[in-house]
Amino acid sequence: MLRPRVIVCLDVKDGRVVKGTHFRNLRDVGDPVELAQRYEAEGADEIVYLDVSASKEDRGTLLDVVRRTAETLFVPLTVGGGVRSADDIGPLLRAGADKISVNSAAVRDPGLLSIGAERFGSQCIVASIDAAAENGGFRCYTHGGSTPTDLDAVAWARECVERGAGEVLLTSIDQDGARTGYRLDLTRAVSDSVSVPVIASGGAGSAEHLHDAFTEGHASAALVAGILHDGVTTVGALKRELSDRGIDVRPVGPSPRAAGADPAVTDTKERR
Amino acid sequence: MRIALFDYGAGNLHSLAKALEGAGAGVTITPEWDEALAADALVLPGVGAFGHAAAALPDDRSRLREALEGGLPCLGICLGMQLFFEDSDEAAGSGIGLVPGRVVRLEAEVVPHMGWNDVETGSDPLFDGIDALVAYYANSYVCRPDGEAAVIARSSYDGRSFAAGVRTANTWGVQFHPEKSSADGRRLIANFVRLAEEAR
Repeated sequence: MLRPRVIVCLDVKDGRVVKGTHFRNLRDVGDPVELAQRYEAEGADEIVYLDVSASKEDRGTLLDVVRRTAETLFVPLTVGGGVRSADDIGPLLRAGADKISVNSAAVRDPGLLSIGAERFGSQCIVASIDAAAENGGFRCYTHGGSTPTDLDAVAWARECVERGAGEVLLTSIDQDGARTGYRLDLTRAVSDSVSVPVIASGGAGSAEHLHDAFTEGHASAALVAGILHDGVTTVGALKRELSDRGIDVRPVGPSPRAAGADPAVTDTKERR
Repeated sequence: MRIALFDYGAGNLHSLAKALEGAGAGVTITPEWDEALAADALVLPGVGAFGHAAAALPDDRSRLREALEGGLPCLGICLGMQLFFEDSDEAAGSGIGLVPGRVVRLEAEVVPHMGWNDVETGSDPLFDGIDALVAYYANSYVCRPDGEAAVIARSSYDGRSFAAGVRTANTWGVQFHPEKSSADGRRLIANFVRLAEEAR
């Protein structure tokens, strides 16, 4: 059975983890290497680093942080931000990233996804899409949510997958940092339209929100950030509550998993 | 104990090297078969595409196959396991042909098969000390061995069961990524290092 994933996102700026609301008002919340290790120990299924300054300020990505992280982290690491061309992908993978997420650069040059997938395999190319609700649909934005595009999120997600993306990281700009739940209509619309796993992002405030992303949103994974960095909850507590609610997440710690969860409740995408 | 980690020239070898070192092995990352086959044990990592990796195998496949049949301890991970087979749907080019069978495209609604999946493990010592393994996968292809003789573990995805692990002589292959499977994955890697030492 494939387990719905709980992914911890660390927004990284100048080698530090930061967190803001609606992509703004960034606050320092710690050292990425230490935090990644701590979240693995707590039961995080994957770690994502998003270099939040890279696209906007044209900075390179954090090869050194990635290298130091990979030395002590033994769950998958995705790195995004600052990938401007296919040539930026190789060095990040060599440094220790398992997957690379691409946002603004793919909008500018969709061929980047094809080249990346051909060269390194679809499984390490993640299409990162930031979308906001507009006129009954969802418009894609680039450059950390600051620049509108003419792209519809569902259509763009499909194109990304056709071009070779092996996963979609889907962030609701409207919900990001709000802690009132994922944008389920957006998550579901994209999940139902593509043949690759979709990671719901933006809005996590409680285990209930993750539960809803997996069930109503049909997401394969859910991204969590602020509520963990602020100590509102822990990965372990989220997973235990998800498990109690019938979502078969990967168990935390060495204890054997509880058997007999109601399969009817775990209506995640891969089981439909 | 020196382990050669073969480098096809693509992807992340960092975590795998650290996990092997953490288990007490010395690690040499090399793209040269002479050097790789001279080590005490060999690891074929799991990142990249079949065609690209097959092109990096020695032209004379029998050289590699004979070394493995002769007992050189080897661990193939994901793509590295797929290379033990004869050929693949993914691309032209032949594998090592150590395990009879081929590599086929995963038939499922959502591909790649990405994330943590349960692994039914048998009694192979590679899994010593690991109960109820849940391991990290990132694959679009799976191995289809001719017969079950080599199969030491299975997983299922979207209602279909596939070989999660194979063994022949001192060669082990796993379709998942132990170096990305947290504590239990590191234990598996440590088990391999121990088994390789015992086989010397």
